[in-house]
This record gives sequence, structure tokens and C-alpha cells, in this order.
Amino acid sequence: MDNFLQSIQSLNYTVAAVALPLLAALINFFLPVKSKVAGWVSTVAILLSCVLSARVFTIIWNNPQVHAQQVWFTIGSTKVYAGLLLNNLSVLMLLLVSLIALPVHIYSTAYMKHDGRYSRYFTYLSFFCFSMLALVVVDSLVLFYAFWELVGFSSYLLIGFWFTKEKAVQANKKAFIMNRIGDIGLLSAIIILFAQYHTFDIAQIFTGNGLIAQSVIKNGLWIAPTGQIPALWQYVACGGIFLAVAAKSAQFPLHTWLPDAMEGPTSVSALIHAATMVAAGVFLLGRVYPMFTQTELTILACIGCFTAFMAATIALTQNDLKRILAYSTISQLGFMILAMGVGAYDSSLFHLATHAFFKCLLFLVAGIVIHQMQHVKKDNKLNIDPQDISLMGGLRKKLPLTFIAAVIAGLALVGLPFTSGYLSKDGILIQAFEWSEGKSDWFKIIPVLALLTSWLTAFYVARLIVKVFFGEFRLLKSKPDIKLHLTDGGWLYKLPLILLAACCLFPLFSFNPFSYNHAWLFSGLKPANFLMHESSYHTIIPVLVNVLSVVVLYAAYVIYGKPDGFSFSQTGFFYRLSYNQWYFDALYKRFIVKPLVRFGSTCFWIDRRIIDGLLHLVAHISGYIARASALTDRYVVDGFLHLMAAIVQSIGNFVRRFQSGKVQYYLFSMLVIVLVLFILKILI
Amino acid sequence: MITLTDFMVVSAMLFCIGLYMIVSKHNAIQILIGIELILNAAILNLVAFGKYDKVNNSGQIFALFAIVLAAATTAVALAIVLNVYRRYKTIDPDKLTNLKD
Repeated sequence: MDNFLQSIQSLNYTVAAVALPLLAALINFFLPVKSKVAGWVSTVAILLSCVLSARVFTIIWNNPQVHAQQVWFTIGSTKVYAGLLLNNLSVLMLLLVSLIALPVHIYSTAYMKHDGRYSRYFTYLSFFCFSMLALVVVDSLVLFYAFWELVGFSSYLLIGFWFTKEKAVQANKKAFIMNRIGDIGLLSAIIILFAQYHTFDIAQIFTGNGLIAQSVIKNGLWIAPTGQIPALWQYVACGGIFLAVAAKSAQFPLHTWLPDAMEGPTSVSALIHAATMVAAGVFLLGRVYPMFTQTELTILACIGCFTAFMAATIALTQNDLKRILAYSTISQLGFMILAMGVGAYDSSLFHLATHAFFKCLLFLVAGIVIHQMQHVKKDNKLNIDPQDISLMGGLRKKLPLTFIAAVIAGLALVGLPFTSGYLSKDGILIQAFEWSEGKSDWFKIIPVLALLTSWLTAFYVARLIVKVFFGEFRLLKSKPDIKLHLTDGGWLYKLPLILLAACCLFPLFSFNPFSYNHAWLFSGLKPANFLMHESSYHTIIPVLVNVLSVVVLYAAYVIYGKPDGFSFSQTGFFYRLSYNQWYFDALYKRFIVKPLVRFGSTCFWIDRRIIDGLLHLVAHISGYIARASALTDRYVVDGFLHLMAAIVQSIGNFVRRFQSGKVQYYLFSMLVIVLVLFILKILI
Repeated sequence: MITLTDFMVVSAMLFCIGLYMIVSKHNAIQILIGIELILNAAILNLVAFGKYDKVNNSGQIFALFAIVLAAATTAVALAIVLNVYRRYKTIDPDKLTNLKD
């Protein structure tokens, strides 16, 4: 009974938590564009959402899942249900999204203060929160798809928030189109799943002993309790899901939109393009995890690993502050996908949670730094890029709190002990090594590459922090006469930083800072049949990773910390490969965009010349035919009629002369006729 | 000796004169006179052919009826002429062309 009440309560709380940001978005939509109330409306809504989510989290976590649904609509005899599915995964995401969104909202009220479309910004932000919160709790694939689209749409709105900037417009179009490719994948996967299982219910299909668990692939057929279709469709469905994941979580073939998405406001990048929306892909993987076969998981691991490595190498040489963070995000998402692929479902989601905090924090720090650089730019009327780290340096003394926050977040990203990143990242690495155990040597490449990536991570994080916060202010060196007024900003900036920095440390996740196995979050996500491997990896990996990471950090400090220190050659092949982001954009432009544009213009030409020409020809011909028939009509048909009319008229005119109305004339003619008759009678 | 033929000739002449008057005159009264002449030609014929019925004299009797009827018709016709005159201020049939199309 108590349990029942609690589940009802949790459902009500969830609905409220999801609906509040929507309400805020609606209120803000009707507020004046510059209204400062908007920020508080949204912040209060997300605060309440956060509290409610926390309550739901405490009820559901490590308890049986709560699933409620009702008939949404009926087509023929198929009933489509809509409802909520609350289990460990969804309540974790619910709490995570609202928890990350809260500091970002507070930060935004200050960060966007001088923007001309302040209330629009908060409308979009609240709308995004609504979509994301709804995405994680719905139980129907159709609803999931709808919110998936809404999340993509609100991301589009926010990337292009400063739509007067040409680059922002390009970036949001790119993000939208890239996401569209993923959406097609998701939609086809949903259609195939429905064709196979005749239901959209996530709980029924995926959880525990659901329909997926009862179906097998045998003899080229995908056999389920509800029917069987060729196994090919299973691969297509998984491919579709993968495409969706790759688009939302910026994985290898579809990752290029994320660095460009940094054109949006930094607070948006922090919330959407670092912590929550990009995690939607990983969340989707978590929802449909039982669907993947062993081979498909291996492919997933390869792609995740490759993405992680590639993005990390790109981050090494970028100079745009936000771009480095964007590539670091792609790299970390690659880690999560890799973890999913090697079967470390729990570690993956654990890393998702920890990553959200420290990446969000890093972006907020970047926001403050960029904001201050913009002030410098405006005060001194300089023509500089405020995001270029090669101009910064020595900001440690000017922005002490920001510096501390950045160091904590950076260390968490590197994965040093006492931070949350250590717990989750080492979990992934250890499980990757365990996975490759007993497989052929080729599989060793994946964990080794992951290991390498984590050292690369250490290097680029160190480079970033050293270049921004240590040494001397390089801009000052080239232009010594500029004035500087740099501050950490008011408490609206400081509070989110402190809040998130606290979340980046180990106590939130585990009381034992050295073992991920003791993290409560980790054990809550563990599958029931989880086996504790006691292997030597548990001690070797963390030691190896951390010792080398510290060495790398120190090396980077030495290289970048001194003004006249050693610097890398900027001409080598690898430098150019990394600096140009592995030429992916150029390749896509060359091999996809250009041929498509050419194809488009060819189609346009064909349409213009051939199809339109044909139509015009037909139009001309029918014009001539029409003219000819008009002539025939006028002269032949009408002519005949006119002739008849003329004859009748002349007869009439002739006859009417007899009808003069004169009685005597009638009599006279009668007389004449009678006489004529008589004469004729006589003659004949 | 006056033969039947003479009566017929006179009658025919009367008829022709009446017809001519009807057709040619521009005065309704004169046309009425023409009609009377034609009637009288017919009555003359009745009386002349009456010699073949000396028992009943039906020709003469019929002539009497015809005379009476002719007087009645004329009276009616004159009344019409009078009304026409009142209405149109003319009795020239050529000018009464209201029946024209």
C-alpha cells in the first residue's frame, strides 16, 4: 500500500517536474522581449523541477521501476499508449538534467543580462529543459521520438540565438541537418521495432525479460514471440539507432556539428552541447541496450574509441577556447560509447553523470573568461578574437575563483584521484581491458587507444589551463597600453561555479575515492548479473593512468608555462592534421556537400530546361490548338449560325411588311390572294 | 324584261363598289357604307333568287332578317367608331396601327 502511494506520488512529481519548465517557457513567451522577469521565471521553474526530481530520485532509486500508461489513441485495433517509465536510468537523468540546468539558469541570468532578446533566450532554455526532461521519462517510442526532435529543435534555436551572426546561422543549420540524419535512423528503427513487436512500449520491449530478451536471430531470421522477419531488419534497426546516437552524441561520422555549435551563447554550450543534449544519445543507447548483439557492440566500441582518440588529437592544437572544450566533449562522449560497446553499461552512464558536471563547469569558466576578454576588447576597441587562448595568460591572479574552478574541472576531466572523473574514467578503462582479455590481440587496440586518449586528454587540458591562467597576459605584451578590469563577476557567476565544482569531487559519488566499485551511482546501474572481476587491472590501470597523466600535466606546464619555453613545430603533417580537425569538414564539403550541391543544381537545370521546357512546349501547343479552335468556332460555327439568323431575319423583315397593322391592307391582300386562287383555278 | 342576270350584274357591281370602298377609303364611316353596300348586294341576290320559291317566299323573308341584322351590326359598328374617335381622335383606319408588331 505504501509502495503504491509512493509510486503515485512519484508519477505526479515527475509530471510536475517536466511541466514546470514548459509553463515557464509559455509565460516567457508572452513577456516583453527585454523583460528581466523571464530569467527568474525560468530559474524558479527549474529550481522546483530540481527539487521534485530529487524527491522522485529518492523514491525510485534502487527500487522497482514505476510504469504507468494510458491509451493515447487507437488506429484500427492498435492501441498506442503513452505514459511514464521511471527506473534507475530515467530518474538519474531526470535529476542530472535539472541539477545541471539549475546553475546554468542562474549563470545565464547574469551572462545574458545585456542581451536584447533576454526573455526569448529563457523561453528557449526552458523549452529545452522541458523537452529533455520529458525525453528521459517517457515510455513510448513515439513520444520518445517526438521529444528527441524537440530537443534537436530547441538546440537549433539556441545555437542560432544570435542569428545576425552569419557563422551562427551556418552552425545551426549544420547541426539541424546532421541531427536530421540521425532522426531518420531513429525513425526507421522505431518503425522496424513496431513491425516486429507491434508495440511502442519501451518497458515492454527492452526491460528485463522483455520482448527483446525473448527474441533470437537464427537462420537469417529475427524470431520474436510476436512474429518473425528477416535478420537484416535487426541490423538495419541497430544501424538506425547507432545513427541517431552518432548524430545526437556527436560520434565519428556525424560529429562535425558539435564544434560549430559553439557559436551559441556559452551558457547554452554548457547546458546543451556539453552536459545534457549530447548525452541524449548515450541515454538512448542505455534505453535500448539489450537490443544490440555482441558484434554490434564491438562495432560500437570501435567507433567510440576512434571518436575519442580523434577528438582528443584535434583538441591538442586548437586555439579557440570553446572549440577545445567541444572536441573534449566529443572525446568524452566517445569514451561513453566505447564503454557501452565493451559492455560497461554502468560505467558509461556513471561517466555520463560525472562528465556532465565537470564539462558544464569548464564551459561556465570559459564563459567567464570569454566575457572578460570581450570587455577588454570593447574597452580598448581592439580587433581580437575573445575566444583565442593564444592571447590569454596569467588570468590566475585576476580571476582566482574561476581559476580554482577550472583546475578542479580540468583535473576531473583528466581523471586524477579525489575527483569524480577518476572514478568513472578508470571504470571504463578497466572494463575495456577486461573485455579485451581472452579475445584476439587485435581487440587490445581499443583499450590501448583509450589509454592513450586519456593521456592526450591530460595534455590538452593542461595546455588549455596553462595557456589561459598561467604565465603572462600575452595580449598585454603585444599591446602594453591597454586597460584591464577583470573580475570573477557577481555571485550569480560565482554560485554556479562553486555548486558545480563541489559536484566534481569524489564525495558526491563515492566515499572511497579510489574505487569506482563503491560508488553508489555505479552500483545502482549495475546489471543484476554483474560479476566482480578481481583482476590485476584494478591496480595497474589507475596507477599507470595517473602517474603518466601527472607526468604529462607537468610536461605541458613546462612547455606552455614559460614565455620563451620549448614550442612545437607548427608545420608537421600531424600538426596540420590535428589543426584542421582531421580534414573532416573539408572531406564532407568535398565529397558530400559539393556533389550534392552539384546534383541539386543539375536537377534544377533539368527542371528548368527539360521539364519546364516540355511543359512550356505543351502549353504552347495547346495554346495554338485553342487559338485554332477559337477561329473555327468564331468563323465556322458562329458563321453558320449568323447565316441562319440572317436568313430568318430577312424572311422576317419581308414578312413583317404584311403586318402593317392596317386593316384595309389586310383585306386587300386577302382579296388579292382569293383572286389569285380563282385565276389559278381557272387556268389549271 | 329584267332577267336574273341583270340582278346578278347589279349585285356584282354593288359588291365590287363596296369592296373598293372598304379597301380604299380613309374614313371608317365610308368603310361602313362599303360594308352596307356589300350586304345589300347579298340581299339583292337573296331577293332575286327568291323567285324559285314562290310558295314560301323564303328568299324575301331571309332578306328581311338580313336587313334587320345589318342595321344592328351597323349600329354596333358606329358605336365602335364613336369610341375609337374618342380614344384616338381619328377614324382613319390607316392611323389606328396599334395591332402592329
